[in-house]
Amino acid sequence: MARKKIDESRRDFLKTVGVVASASASLTIAPEARARQALATLGPGEVPVTLTINGRRHQLNVEPRVTLLDAMRTRLEITGQKRVCDRGACGACTVIIEGRTYYSCSMLAIEAQGKNIRTVDGLANGSTLHPVQQAFCDNDGLMCGFCTPGFVMATVALLEKNPNPTPEQAKRALDGNLCRCGTNIGVLKAALAVKGGARG
Amino acid sequence: MKTFSYVNATNEKEAVAALSPSTRDGHGDALAAARSGHQPSKVPIAGGMDLLGLMKDYIVSPDRVVSIKGLDQTIASGDGGLRIGAAVKIADLAEHAAARKMYPALVTAAEGVGTPQIRNMGTVGGNIMQRPRCWYFRNEEFNCLKKGGSRCFAVDGENQFHAIFGDGPCHIVHPSSLAVPVIAYGGRFRVAGPNGAREIDAGEFFQMPNANLYGENVLQPNEIVTHVILPAPGQRSASYEVRFKQSHDWPLAAASVNLVMSGSTVKSARIVMGAVAPIPWRVQAAERMLAGKTITEGVATDVANAAVAGARPMTGNQYKIQIARTAVKRAVLAAGRA
Amino acid sequence: MDNGSRIPASGSRQVAEVQAPARPPQHEKYPWPEKSRLLGTRVSRIDGPMKVSGRAKYSYDIVRPGMLYGRILRSPHAHARLKSIDASAAEKAPGVKALLITIKPGEKVMFPGEEIGALAAATEQQAADALRMIKVEWEVLPALANVEQAMRPEAPQVFTPANTRRGTAQEDGDLAAGFKSAAFTVEGTYSTQVQTHTSLETHGCVCEWNGDNLTAWVSTQAVHGTREGFAQGLKIPQANVRVITEFMGGGFGSKFGPDMQGLLCARLAKAANAPVKLMLDRKEEHLATGNRPSAFAKVKAGVSADGKLTAFDATTWGTGGAGAGSDYPLPYIYVFPNRRRMHTDVYINSGQQRAMRAPGHPQGCFVTEVLMDELADQVRMDPMEFRLKNLPPLAPNAMWAKYFPMGAERINWKSRHVTGDPTPGPIKRGLGCSANRWGGAGTGARAHCEIASDGSVVMRCGTQDIGTGNRTIMAMVVAETLGLEVPQITIELGDSHHPFAPGSGGSTTAAAVMPAMRVTAGKARDALFERIAPQLGVAATEINIGVGEVHVVSPSTPDSSASGQTASRSGQAPILRRVAWRDACKMLGTVPVSVDGQWERGLSAGGTSGVQFAEVEVDIETGITKVKKIVCVQDCGLVVDLKTAETQCHGGIISGVNYGVFEERILDRNTANMVNPNMEWYHMAGQSDIPEIDVVLVDTPERGVIGIGEPPAVATAAAVANAIRNATGVTLRNIPITPDKLLTELERAGGTN
Repeated sequence: MARKKIDESRRDFLKTVGVVASASASLTIAPEARARQALATLGPGEVPVTLTINGRRHQLNVEPRVTLLDAMRTRLEITGQKRVCDRGACGACTVIIEGRTYYSCSMLAIEAQGKNIRTVDGLANGSTLHPVQQAFCDNDGLMCGFCTPGFVMATVALLEKNPNPTPEQAKRALDGNLCRCGTNIGVLKAALAVKGGARG
Repeated sequence: MKTFSYVNATNEKEAVAALSPSTRDGHGDALAAARSGHQPSKVPIAGGMDLLGLMKDYIVSPDRVVSIKGLDQTIASGDGGLRIGAAVKIADLAEHAAARKMYPALVTAAEGVGTPQIRNMGTVGGNIMQRPRCWYFRNEEFNCLKKGGSRCFAVDGENQFHAIFGDGPCHIVHPSSLAVPVIAYGGRFRVAGPNGAREIDAGEFFQMPNANLYGENVLQPNEIVTHVILPAPGQRSASYEVRFKQSHDWPLAAASVNLVMSGSTVKSARIVMGAVAPIPWRVQAAERMLAGKTITEGVATDVANAAVAGARPMTGNQYKIQIARTAVKRAVLAAGRA
Repeated sequence: MDNGSRIPASGSRQVAEVQAPARPPQHEKYPWPEKSRLLGTRVSRIDGPMKVSGRAKYSYDIVRPGMLYGRILRSPHAHARLKSIDASAAEKAPGVKALLITIKPGEKVMFPGEEIGALAAATEQQAADALRMIKVEWEVLPALANVEQAMRPEAPQVFTPANTRRGTAQEDGDLAAGFKSAAFTVEGTYSTQVQTHTSLETHGCVCEWNGDNLTAWVSTQAVHGTREGFAQGLKIPQANVRVITEFMGGGFGSKFGPDMQGLLCARLAKAANAPVKLMLDRKEEHLATGNRPSAFAKVKAGVSADGKLTAFDATTWGTGGAGAGSDYPLPYIYVFPNRRRMHTDVYINSGQQRAMRAPGHPQGCFVTEVLMDELADQVRMDPMEFRLKNLPPLAPNAMWAKYFPMGAERINWKSRHVTGDPTPGPIKRGLGCSANRWGGAGTGARAHCEIASDGSVVMRCGTQDIGTGNRTIMAMVVAETLGLEVPQITIELGDSHHPFAPGSGGSTTAAAVMPAMRVTAGKARDALFERIAPQLGVAATEINIGVGEVHVVSPSTPDSSASGQTASRSGQAPILRRVAWRDACKMLGTVPVSVDGQWERGLSAGGTSGVQFAEVEVDIETGITKVKKIVCVQDCGLVVDLKTAETQCHGGIISGVNYGVFEERILDRNTANMVNPNMEWYHMAGQSDIPEIDVVLVDTPERGVIGIGEPPAVATAAAVANAIRNATGVTLRNIPITPDKLLTELERAGGTN
């Protein structure tokens, strides 16, 4: 009875204020878990981790200290996203999780479980490129190509959220990625060229 | 990065328990351990942006990392204000309709944090708790004061991005963009610890280096910030940040202004500067100058001059005085227009 | 955004008419076509789909069976003598398979990050853990963190025989007379910072031994040069080494050999009897893989009352780190009839310089071009008019007098105010200009072409595509020559098993490789004609290339009888019969056409010129500069791919914006350790910092192919600096122009508010 009441007030609260979109799942704490006294300590040695990357489940054993980026690159040979600064400053490792861009270098693999992680490797449909990938090719939004997978993912995330960005919005959305060759002009052209057509 | 074990705490009680020293650890007082120059052996992880960098650079090398992602991720209204869960992502705060309406100074600051990726990953609590970006602190080669060493390398070194207030002995600037408007709004932090929860005035949460050299605030290692509680804002508020790069960068100086108005006259004001001192730097002398005034360019300039009057620059950061002055002036003017 | 455009050939010929000879000698047998079908058009890079999909495998991405991970042990000190080193714990650490120590007690290190050992372990984490178990004791010695410290008379002597070395000394004309004829002089000290290459793919490689043979996947700008480097460093025959670089993530002049990390990787792989991957991390990359030296110039220059330069006297110095040079061209471009210059290399305890995108030129350009604006103000002349008055005579490689007015038009130079924007308010707008020159000539590339009976064409060349679009323009030239489309050409590069090609430096690659493509494809075409002529029942000279087909033409074609098999036969002769390409190739049967070719004279040249204009907005209350727009007028001979050539210009300009405003290697003055060895405090422009860029590529096809990678990077910083000066009225003689410098100067000039 009391519990129900709390739930109801919670719903009211949701109505009036609204919640953060991604919050719902992790908020629901099962009473059994709450009751459990001893918390599981994982590691420091290798622990089993299940990662869902581009819709495919991968089971692997890694130490808790291994980042998502390193797990993908060195354990699963998913090498599309690059390791460049390894400190969340350059964006070459950008992946999309729940519609949002993340620096996979700055996230532990163990914490990336239970989510669909999207990388550049999974964007194309066979040999047909995703419209954003095609736009990068058409607008020469790449040179050496090492920043490109990160820029492509940042652009995909932008356009999935905002299919018709203004140039200012597009620039802001790409500010978390750096290019050393100086392809930014082509990158911005690509981001604006796909307007409205990002859902490939 | 040193190896560590990992605990996933699903609520604050679990988090506090997992962060508390066990008898086996051999040091009861974690703060004392920190004061001896040792970093705590158990640390919380939320977004992870800051902690992973610290661990990769061997600045922090805990034995145990405790995930506190399961803390409250909601923004709730109450008492005319908002109660923001520490695990709310910065991006969500920036997009939150009520926050945007009520707390423009906070939202402006949130929008200016790092990059889209950092805002997507980083949490409100993490932003408040992040460690300084001082390049001597962050580079292992420099065993600086904050790491238990005997000197602040910035004093006669490369200090162009260091503090212009505070007189040391450590000259970091506090890295949190969100803490600045939170203090301007008179916010409080709800803190959970082994003895239950307490609320701390945000203005009293951060500590100067002479009070706490090895940390930046009053938290014990087994305490966590669970909520930011904001009272009803003044009628007008704004933040202004000056950054070198318009893309990803840390502010050279920032200012948040919160005004309680009586018509077009300022009744009372709070002005807090960021990136100029080891803590968010409230300037009450400048606040008092605003009381009873209508905001004009001249008033804003006077207030800005007062705000930086006590600055004590180092060898290479005198220019930051002018930047801080501009940030205050423009924040006051923006609040006046708001 | 990008309003890039290409000046039509007629326009450029007009330009070219100014000087003689109008046409340099052309290749006799395989000249560039009079009317090209593909060259000069916009072609998307052919490896784009690989790169945007993550399928492109860089050295960093290579995974070999049983592969170990290597890490390098480095000095944390700028200058120190080794007391002792104990690696016994590391040797026994979990996963460690090989360990090398390359320093002995008593030996010294000269910069932070100097390599002193390496190890390989089963995982990256194990390698990192083990590295920290090596106990090293040092005697820390006095270090020199900057040129001021090194040049002080009382400075400790850190380098042998001295901390400084006398460099270039030049004198021309009569300096005293030059200054005597000057109505005005300007004196000042100008300087530029050290920047690091910051290639996104760090240096490193994967090394795998098969007996005595080494295969190395290396992030390099020179597969053949790196093979030679491995052979010399490991004392094995070059025949035993194969270097592969299918894709590489940027080098900018810093990646021409295996370097220490490559040799250590190979030795670890040998010792562990397993493949080893050793890629540097970002910090190592900043510390130990090269940089652009700093430049300082104490200059006195004179100008006559009517605006002619009369004299230039400069004492210059700079540092390329521990024992490396720092020279740069000075004065740059403009004609000072009487001049003197003395240069001194200064050594400090930091990583050594390497060639970086137009080595020397951005430094010389900045010093000279800022000085030019100051001199123009002395004689109250428009800075562009002043430049036009003092340029060298027009020549194919010196077209500034033509390009300045073109750029002025596009930046709306007419709207420029005199120095110091009189507009009220904190935002000041300004315009500035500058000029660049570069070589870009290349030679020596070789290639091998096969045409198979199914019509497929493979071109092999031991060059590499470092992101410039080399692969794409190679395919364009081959396709043009064989009458095919670009996707029909398979380009194989980045492998030292392919025919020799030089390293990709000095913007020489296009000029070296494109002639080899033209000649080799032309020879393959001729060989094809010889082979199929009997089956077609005609003489080989009666066969021509069409588009996707070969033509049998009337035997009386003067073109073919006069100059034999020319690649440019225009097909004006009556076509008697058309044979589809595939059908023609089918006549080859089981034996493909297989020919070798190489670079030959008459298809490429060197010597480019260009100008840039910058528009900036400066907030004088914060010292923040926003570069709003850059206009670039640039030539590079025959434009092969207009699309990638324009992107090269964008890239150069953006690197110039970084040089002028943002980036700087900052060393702690007390320890010489780098305080910003990352991509956070090592500031580089992000998307919101990028200006609008307007590129005008002047096509001068009669000059043949010339490289364009470096020229556009030279002039941007100087143009931006001059625009900032024009906006604010204060002169910054030192880049990067950061808010601290700008606000300090503004304050000196009379306050900021």
